[in-house]
Amino acid sequence: MAQNYDRRRINGPEDSYPPIFEEEEEDTLSWNIAKPREGRSPQDIRPIFLQPGLINQANGSAYIETDKTKIACAVYGPRQSKTTTFSENGRLNVEVKFSPFSCARRKAPLRDAEDRSLAVSIHQAVLSSVRLELLPKSTIDVFITIIENDGIEGCISSGTIAASAALADAGIEVLGLVASCSAAALGDEIWLDPTEKEARKSEGTLILACMPALGIVTNVWQSGRMTVEKATQCLDLCQERCTDIHAVVAQSLLETSKAS
Amino acid sequence: MSAGPSAVPDSPAEADSLRAQIFQRLHPRAYLERFLAENVRPDGRAFSEWRDVSLNVGSISTADGSALVRMGDTTVVCGVKAEIAEPELDHPDEGYLVPNLDLPAMCSSKFKPGPPTEEAQVLSDRLNQALVMSGVISLSSLCIHSGRSVWTLYVDATCINYAGNAFDATLLAMVAALKNTRIPQASFDEESGRTVCSRKNRVPLTLSRFPTSASFGIFDASQILADPTAFEEPLLDATVCVVVDEEPELISVNGVGLGITTTVDSQKTIQACISAAKNRSLELQKLL
Repeated sequence: MAQNYDRRRINGPEDSYPPIFEEEEEDTLSWNIAKPREGRSPQDIRPIFLQPGLINQANGSAYIETDKTKIACAVYGPRQSKTTTFSENGRLNVEVKFSPFSCARRKAPLRDAEDRSLAVSIHQAVLSSVRLELLPKSTIDVFITIIENDGIEGCISSGTIAASAALADAGIEVLGLVASCSAAALGDEIWLDPTEKEARKSEGTLILACMPALGIVTNVWQSGRMTVEKATQCLDLCQERCTDIHAVVAQSLLETSKAS
Repeated sequence: MSAGPSAVPDSPAEADSLRAQIFQRLHPRAYLERFLAENVRPDGRAFSEWRDVSLNVGSISTADGSALVRMGDTTVVCGVKAEIAEPELDHPDEGYLVPNLDLPAMCSSKFKPGPPTEEAQVLSDRLNQALVMSGVISLSSLCIHSGRSVWTLYVDATCINYAGNAFDATLLAMVAALKNTRIPQASFDEESGRTVCSRKNRVPLTLSRFPTSASFGIFDASQILADPTAFEEPLLDATVCVVVDEEPELISVNGVGLGITTTVDSQKTIQACISAAKNRSLELQKLL
């Protein structure tokens, strides 16, 4: 029996595979390092659309769209912890779920390692901003659904922004809003907020999450090949953008709270 | 909403609304009864009034077809992914249509993370019946090469916000997503036994029927509430769900619960539901 057979769902054939195409995708081959970035300048990020409070069943929520990346986030809590042991600090629980149609290849609904690693990154990024010491015996659940994915880097940074905005929308005390930005190193250049294709072509990527209002970094994740100077340069550029993102998030939270 | 009932009220109006919220929590049935006695529902609708519906198609580029439906506050996204598979031996010319609805923990506090809940399983099965049994798409049109290669359409819907009546919203999203789907032109190569697709030429699916559904809640054996909300749903005696196609011809009538008996009165109830469903379907068809 196929491994993805699940009695609790409507099942298709045991085995199916995505379509195989005759022609190769054109732009994967034609790109080279000398060519300038298409569509925007290297230090530009994709425009952010952020809407807090769309999910009225949740205590707080946020929907974020950066070009093709679309993420919905809901916060439930603080509510009573399921564990019986007493804990002085609250618990923050982050779960990420890819919708089956969010990636180029269909994601079977079973959880895989990718969800977990994304959840860990986002958890780390927002954890130190939440004042969990004020919420003994309670749990805050942050649920994130990725509706459309255009690069893991973008998902982590947008997911972090959405999670932080949703926590603020839920009225949970935080030290500051967390903003996040990613960068990819291609040759001599640094491209901010890379798409999936751009990230695949890069030598290394870096994701920064910070609280711009306090000037505190909450999470840095660097992967791939990068010199130390390059990484510092990436950090500086990301931090600059995070300040802009912070303004966008604060503005949209302000508008939502005024409207309600 | 976000402040919650624990906030201290500042004005008399706020104190009143807080009292109403507490009453709603503690005595949901009495709360609903008092509204219905005044011929109005808690959200201000008349009994037979539907919530506003909006439909947005094709916004997800990673899917072969997609739709987003908002029915009141209920939000459902649906994406279609086409994959290639071998047909079953006894149906060599038939493809597969695999609809599933996911009710993740994010859409409502009554769901927990983990495997599909009972409600999600029941809804997925009913959606499967409404789509596959009604013949929304002829499965033989999904055949690429008889006995060797057919299309499998995974129709996955995810509920983003569960504010009641997920079935109507999901069925609409699924039909709209299928209508929006473009699958690549495929050909089967007998020698290599491979199916290759063209990246440039994509063809729409040919749908033979457009089913839409209308759900009703029966409260207190006599009151018919169209399009019940998440607050009303658990208080209902029975629910009636009517699926009709674009004609509008009946596809299925599904009644669950105590309120429906074989008396003359209840037959009238079901007939009223069916005629209201036909009117509703005309409105939904306009969106598709």
